[in-house]
Amino acid sequence: MKALIEMINVSKDFLQGDNIISALKPTNFTAYEGELIGIIGPSGSGKSTFLTILGGLQKPTTGKVLINGMKFSELTNDEKSKIRLDQIGFILQASNLIPFLTVKEQMVLYNKITKTKVNSEWMNELFAKLGVDKLKNKYPSALSGGERQRAAIAKALYHQPNVIFADEPTASLDSNKAFEVMKLLAKETKAQKKATIMVTHDERLLAYCDKVYVIVDGVLTLKAGHVNNQ
Amino acid sequence: MFLAIKELSYTKGKFALIISVIVLVSYLVYFLTSLAYGLASSYTNAVNKWEATEIVITIDANDSIMMSFMTTADFDSVDIDGEKARLGLFPAVINNPSADNRLDSRVNAYFFGIDDDSFLKPTEAGNVILQGNQVIVDESLKKEGYAIGSTIAVSGTDMQFEIVGFSTLSTYQTAPVIYMAMQTWQTYRYNTETPPNLFSGVIVRGRILDTADDLLRYTVDDYIATLPGYAAQVLTFSTMIIFLIIIVAFVLGIFIYVLTIQKSPMFGVMKAQGISNGYIAGSVVTQTFLLVLIGIVFGFILTIVSGIFLADAIPFAINALFYGIITFAFFLFAFFGALFSVSAVLKIDPLKAIGG
Repeated sequence: MKALIEMINVSKDFLQGDNIISALKPTNFTAYEGELIGIIGPSGSGKSTFLTILGGLQKPTTGKVLINGMKFSELTNDEKSKIRLDQIGFILQASNLIPFLTVKEQMVLYNKITKTKVNSEWMNELFAKLGVDKLKNKYPSALSGGERQRAAIAKALYHQPNVIFADEPTASLDSNKAFEVMKLLAKETKAQKKATIMVTHDERLLAYCDKVYVIVDGVLTLKAGHVNNQ
Repeated sequence: MFLAIKELSYTKGKFALIISVIVLVSYLVYFLTSLAYGLASSYTNAVNKWEATEIVITIDANDSIMMSFMTTADFDSVDIDGEKARLGLFPAVINNPSADNRLDSRVNAYFFGIDDDSFLKPTEAGNVILQGNQVIVDESLKKEGYAIGSTIAVSGTDMQFEIVGFSTLSTYQTAPVIYMAMQTWQTYRYNTETPPNLFSGVIVRGRILDTADDLLRYTVDDYIATLPGYAAQVLTFSTMIIFLIIIVAFVLGIFIYVLTIQKSPMFGVMKAQGISNGYIAGSVVTQTFLLVLIGIVFGFILTIVSGIFLADAIPFAINALFYGIITFAFFLFAFFGALFSVSAVLKIDPLKAIGG
């Protein structure tokens, strides 16, 4: 199996007054293709530090991040932006849809920015799979929470990234909708051979994950005995 | 461009408000410019018509050509490489002797005394010879009911003139100019049948090599600046116009800034997704330009329409160069306004988009 994103000996220290706070202890982490990985932990445990370093939004104090074997954490900010744009799909808590674009235009935006051609075939396939084809000309404000989250998943998958970051992807959904979204995410991760890394508070969602990590006080540990039972 | 246009068309109401502010202010600015230029032109049309390089009057006149008394010896002392002409200039009040109410027909005018063969004579009046009581008058007097062959009386005297031709763009200090033979002018100026052979100034096309010591040379621009009220009026108008443009830039800058701040969570998410600062900032600047463009197009149309309806009533003149400069200034200042927002965009931290 191919490693899509790796953290090698990454740590992060903050200076708070005269004290050094260790937000993330030296950590090694690898996500392979087709893996849906869950990250849980109490607030303030270092989850967001972990995810933002992985996404190149913060520089690690030590160690490096590799995306597809490339030394991601050592690039300049502009280069990192470009990698994020091409290689990473984001599904964020507060849905990452732009209010004044229709569902279809959310996808087209990627092509406008990268000056590439719209991949209509793939877009329609995605819309059909995610059940948003009837919503494609609607604005986010006209969608329900579940529809919005499905559109966000379509957006995260549209540009065919290697890695997907999902930050509380089901936060605003009721249980049924949340499970439905998780199923889709798990299915697409397998089908498209992505590595999906999901941060969540909701332990019920972990059933869909291939691996679960627990992060407490900046220490990331693999949860022993976890099985994907979906 | 994509984002900018999509947002404009999605939130039409919000943007319509700001566009209407730009329309009104740009209308005001264009209109004031035309008015200012029209007024300034009516001060100086007759001077610009000379196509002169320099004007010479006496030092004693203290910048006032009407108080300048020049002799033939003075004229001869102006040594030039080019052409020179004598000019007599004095204000007058004229009236129409055939009007129902002569008092109501009074009009302020300027009498220009010229030599019949000089370059100061308006060519558009046709092949007429100025002699005796024959005069060429500015065409604005047509509105007062004068025509070729009409008689003009001079208030306060019993002098009468006959119109033999009309000239275009012949206004001086906003009043119409009446051209007459130098000797006729001298008769009016000194109110005697045997006037002294004095005149007001020498108009030069070309280069002045030397003049008598008691004469003073002015470039045309310097001369115009001495016209009473001209500089003050131009300054007042330009100050108003410049401030209006700056105010628009601020209004627009603040509006775009507030919108940008409102959208910063969204921009944060976009940045986290790898959309570059350049793209987001470009979209903010494009949006500003689109707002200005739409606003000034409507403002311009309103100005032209008003100009068509008001051209007879007010001195309204369009100067393409001024319009170009003002339009450029609108865009330039709006761009500065947008820079606040660009700096706000740069400061947005994508980290905040991911709250773990």
